[in-house]
Amino acid sequence: MKLIGVDVGGTFTDLIITDTGTKNTHIHKVPTTPDDPSVGVTRGILELCKYSNVLANQIDHVFHGTTIATNAVLEYEGSETGMITNQGYRDILHIGRHQRPENYSIMQDIPWQSQPLVARRNRLTVKERITPPDGKVLTELDQLGVKKAAKEFKKRGIKSIAVCFLFSYINPNHEEAAKKIINEIYPEAFVTTSAKVAPQFREFERFTTAAMNAFIGPKVRDYVQMLEQRLKKSGLNADLHIMGSNGGVATAQTVSDLPVITLLSGPAAGVLGGAWSAARAAKRKVITFDVGGTSADIGIVIDGQYSEATSRDTWIGGYPVLVPMIDIGTIGAGGGSIAHVDKGGAFKVGPKSSGSKPGPACYLRGGKLPTVTDANLSLGRLDPENFLGGEMRLDRTIADKVINSLAKELGIKKNEAAEGILTIINSNMANAIRAKTVQKGLDPREFSLVSFGGAGPLHGAEVADMLNIPEVIIPPYPGITSAEGLLTTDLKYDQIKTEFQVNNKLDLKRLNRDFKELSQSLFEQYKADGISASKVKQFRFGDLRYVGQGYELRVPISDGILNKKNIEKVWSAFHKQHQQEYGHFFADSPIEIVNIRLTGVGIMPKISAPKVKKKGTINAAIIKIAPTVFRINKKLKTIDTKFYDRNCLPIDKIVRGPAIILQKDTTTVVPPNWTAKADKSANLILTKINPK
Amino acid sequence: MTKQNKKHTANSKRNTQSTRKGSIDPVTANVIQGALENIAIEMGYKLMRMSYSSIIRESEDFGAAIIDNKCQQLCESRHSTPLQSGPIPGYVRGVKKLLSGRGEKINPGDVIIHNSAYHGASHGPDVAFLVPVFYKNKLAGFSVTTAHHLDIGALSPGSCGIVDAMDAYAEGLQFKALKVYDKGKRNQPMWQFLHDNIRAPDLVVGDMEAQIAACRIGAERYLELIESYGQKTVEAASEELMSYSERLMRSAISDLPDGSYQAEGHVDGFLDDPDRRHYKIAVEVLVNGSNMTVDLSGTSLQCDDRPINMPLEGTVDCAIWLTIRSILLDSTRYGHIPQNSGLIRPINIIAPEGTLANPKFPAPTIARFVSGNIVADTLMKALSKAVPNKVSAGVGNLKVVAFSGLKEGSHWVHMDIHEGSYGGRYGKDAMDAVDTLYANTRNNPIEDIESHLPLRVSRYELRNDSSSSGKWRGGIGSIREVTFLEDSFISIEGDGHAFKPWGYAGGKRGKPAKVVLHKNDTTKIALPSMMPNRAVQAGESITLTGTCGGGYGNPLQRNPQQVKSDIADGFVSTNTAKKEYGVILNKDGDVDITATEKVRKKLQLKN
Repeated sequence: MKLIGVDVGGTFTDLIITDTGTKNTHIHKVPTTPDDPSVGVTRGILELCKYSNVLANQIDHVFHGTTIATNAVLEYEGSETGMITNQGYRDILHIGRHQRPENYSIMQDIPWQSQPLVARRNRLTVKERITPPDGKVLTELDQLGVKKAAKEFKKRGIKSIAVCFLFSYINPNHEEAAKKIINEIYPEAFVTTSAKVAPQFREFERFTTAAMNAFIGPKVRDYVQMLEQRLKKSGLNADLHIMGSNGGVATAQTVSDLPVITLLSGPAAGVLGGAWSAARAAKRKVITFDVGGTSADIGIVIDGQYSEATSRDTWIGGYPVLVPMIDIGTIGAGGGSIAHVDKGGAFKVGPKSSGSKPGPACYLRGGKLPTVTDANLSLGRLDPENFLGGEMRLDRTIADKVINSLAKELGIKKNEAAEGILTIINSNMANAIRAKTVQKGLDPREFSLVSFGGAGPLHGAEVADMLNIPEVIIPPYPGITSAEGLLTTDLKYDQIKTEFQVNNKLDLKRLNRDFKELSQSLFEQYKADGISASKVKQFRFGDLRYVGQGYELRVPISDGILNKKNIEKVWSAFHKQHQQEYGHFFADSPIEIVNIRLTGVGIMPKISAPKVKKKGTINAAIIKIAPTVFRINKKLKTIDTKFYDRNCLPIDKIVRGPAIILQKDTTTVVPPNWTAKADKSANLILTKINPK
Repeated sequence: MTKQNKKHTANSKRNTQSTRKGSIDPVTANVIQGALENIAIEMGYKLMRMSYSSIIRESEDFGAAIIDNKCQQLCESRHSTPLQSGPIPGYVRGVKKLLSGRGEKINPGDVIIHNSAYHGASHGPDVAFLVPVFYKNKLAGFSVTTAHHLDIGALSPGSCGIVDAMDAYAEGLQFKALKVYDKGKRNQPMWQFLHDNIRAPDLVVGDMEAQIAACRIGAERYLELIESYGQKTVEAASEELMSYSERLMRSAISDLPDGSYQAEGHVDGFLDDPDRRHYKIAVEVLVNGSNMTVDLSGTSLQCDDRPINMPLEGTVDCAIWLTIRSILLDSTRYGHIPQNSGLIRPINIIAPEGTLANPKFPAPTIARFVSGNIVADTLMKALSKAVPNKVSAGVGNLKVVAFSGLKEGSHWVHMDIHEGSYGGRYGKDAMDAVDTLYANTRNNPIEDIESHLPLRVSRYELRNDSSSSGKWRGGIGSIREVTFLEDSFISIEGDGHAFKPWGYAGGKRGKPAKVVLHKNDTTKIALPSMMPNRAVQAGESITLTGTCGGGYGNPLQRNPQQVKSDIADGFVSTNTAKKEYGVILNKDGDVDITATEKVRKKLQLKN
């Protein structure tokens, strides 16, 4: 089978093709076409086919990572959206949780007020009310009111409508009925119901998620259609799958209906790509560390399972969204992060970035401020002749100059300033990793750090050092790890239901029935994609908390009928997890199942391990020897350092640090006290000598 | 205890701007700053997630901080509400003072509970737990959390709306630096005592345990930091951090023209009691170089027997620091600035003893929430004369309603914070329906409340046609209606009924709040903004109408297209548009430019 992964980034569209039979893999990069990314995607695919001697009509699957939904939110460019909601509750979207995003700011903007997903004029209300705990109807749906509202939206030319009623997560009938009425009166409208998008309690967050789906819906649907057409015109008959934030792919049709599931798809593919490289090297516990020009993304993968964000921690553009997402920590730290002395005289690096335009000063594209890349260059860690495989020249004199002026401002020497920039940015990144490990009861010393993205391999070892992580893995193509990750994913859908059951008066019958219902709707979803139930693996989870708490922890629940005996395992797993996450548990407190979740995984064909057959000597891989600066025993030292060509490194031979390893899409720094070796897993493995 | 004319900082007279000292390099300073902040974030994160009662986990009415051995705050949790983290150094000072007064020593393994409003605490319900950090057998600092507890055994259920407490004793249990763990050993009688004297003890005591767990994590991390960098380096980095914050604040104060800026504000008080209402808050800001003095002389005398008084340390000082910081070092413009004791060094507070802003023991203080917000608002009004482009017009004050009842012999208690709104701002309309100034809590989802309590939130939306007119309009308060499904009790602690938030530079004044009880016999009763516990019956409901903030600038200068948009959104009626904005729409709903110009001219003359 022939598979293509294509990941659209801000500057480049990355592509990878693999033949599952011959195990041949090729990669490619084309400039992103921001006005219509499908142009660049199609061009890239055709070029890659040509370059790898494959005919377009031979491609079986295209896996696509897109930021079209994300950008629509971040740039606030979606459709004018209408909303039908309960009379008396018109402004849930506007009031939110009545909390200001900033504690200390008079001039702040509240995103949902300054940039509402649905303007108040387009929030129309009808009589309707459902009550907990069982979804009893207190007030019948005013169907006439819905008709009137639908007609009004039609008149106003509003093409996307969110239907949001209180307690619809318990009883979605009224939302469905309203949708049906809208469809009859206004069939061309894009209709989203809140219970379909996020069947969970917390009305502001659920309504916002529905409104966001409505806001970006038409744009994403049009994009997906456009891309399908272009691919077809180009002779591709492949199935198009799109990456979701949950780490799985969905069909083009599903994404067209539920675009919110793709909001974090880019970073999600990165986590998968990193996890795949680590799995080849047989590593059980992995931190994925994806560093680009402006930000670093951090994910945790244990035994092939990545952790998922709890539903209260998923935000985009300042709006909460209740959709399953891989738990990814993001920090504004990357190669373009700008170093500066702030108003109070402190030495800061980032979060402001020079991005790719104008970029670091050494790019000579108009950037005048010192960045992390300039610091790496100034310390000799980047080779000005060998950046992007020599396609782009870097100017070291300029890098030295901008860092020198920063050093003067700080009253320290140039190299101290340059190395200081790296120490600060590395420490910021280490803190972000700590938040996902140490603070959740995970010991980083037991993990490997998979370091990728254009800048990850430059910083991986020094960041690992700060956390006492003994080992760093650099994937074969660090610059396109996200595209690679697309070829390791499965068709993944999530079902969720708010349960609100307490363990001391648990209705097991209801619990089992609800799981069964979830399972049925999951199978229907797969059936619509042409996948039979037998091919779908199911995983069950519960979001649990002690009664009274407001935050849940996700606990796996085993398959089969739940009974008084096996449910005990769920409670003890929860206590244990609470202890691990927070350092404390409450043995005597009753436990509440807030939500139950069912994740379905439909297995997709995948990329196979790359072939490695590199022989030769280490010395033959040396490109040059040049001075670089490292801190040894607290003092900065300039050391003659060997620069190696990664492609020429023999397997399993040890390279001692300090060393610099070059390849087209990145540069790997091996600090003193670290070694590197090319591994049969096609990774580069950096190891700390004498780890703590 | 005398606090009259107390200088809050020994070095507040220092006029020269301090520069960075050479004792620590800038890189290490930055790295340690990051590590310290990370500790506080982790403490807050864990406390919030572990805690039981909605006032902590949803409203985020808690604080977490690391304090050094000189009682200086090194970092605070970004999750916390400012009124919780701000007072923590004061709590620690209070604890140290009380313990040394009693001749008690602080030992490793101790955990100390404290809530005395006359010894640094913000008010009784905000209970702190302190875990001392020892390095090489010497006290190196404290890891501290504070949290607003649901109930601390006051005269009526809940810890808000205890507005008839006649002295500090009626407000609930007073913890004056007591050890709940002594050298690592749990003080069991103390815990039993808590359990027996607090309503809803499972929730409250659970939250206390969560606080201690979070403190212990902070203490462990702080110790690790000292161990890996050395105490001297951490201390030097901390000092640099504080002087960094101080430099920023001094530089911001220096940008203000020297001089005196004054304003007055008013608090409802107990509107149904002619002797105990309409309190005045007087503020004079004196700017002298990089120093600022905030003088509250002229503020009303304390109320001896109702809890509207504000502890100087823990409420008044926090309200002042928070306001100055939010205006002069607005995080939208300045980014994140480490919150630590350095920020407050240039600020000196004067509050004569015996006034509302510096009461004498045992004057009650439990309901000081809303008066503190008026201190903040009045200070902003004074500063509006110095920095008109950085303030908002008058802020609409908020309200807390405590709901409670008895179910199967045990209490349920729920506190609902009903938000106010901000005033218009230079170049920007106001923030609508948000928690204001020194409070920044979160509301409870309706779907959570109704799933767990015998209450129905039967309405929650913005007031129509209520935004105060201005070139930039004032904030809109919300209407929240709650129906009782069972016989229950309510009490109210609030403000904003008697005085309208101030308008700025031609902007209209805001609109006051009100509360109405709908009785089963169909009568309606207007309730005051402060109301002690009262019984309500199943089927009855209350409607809370929130305060609207003031407008900013002359409404006749508002862009007519914006007014048209406001009409479409129901923020402004066509009538208000005509009368106050001078904007006329034609039959198609577009701005009638000629008619608008004419009306605006006429209104201009009238003004």
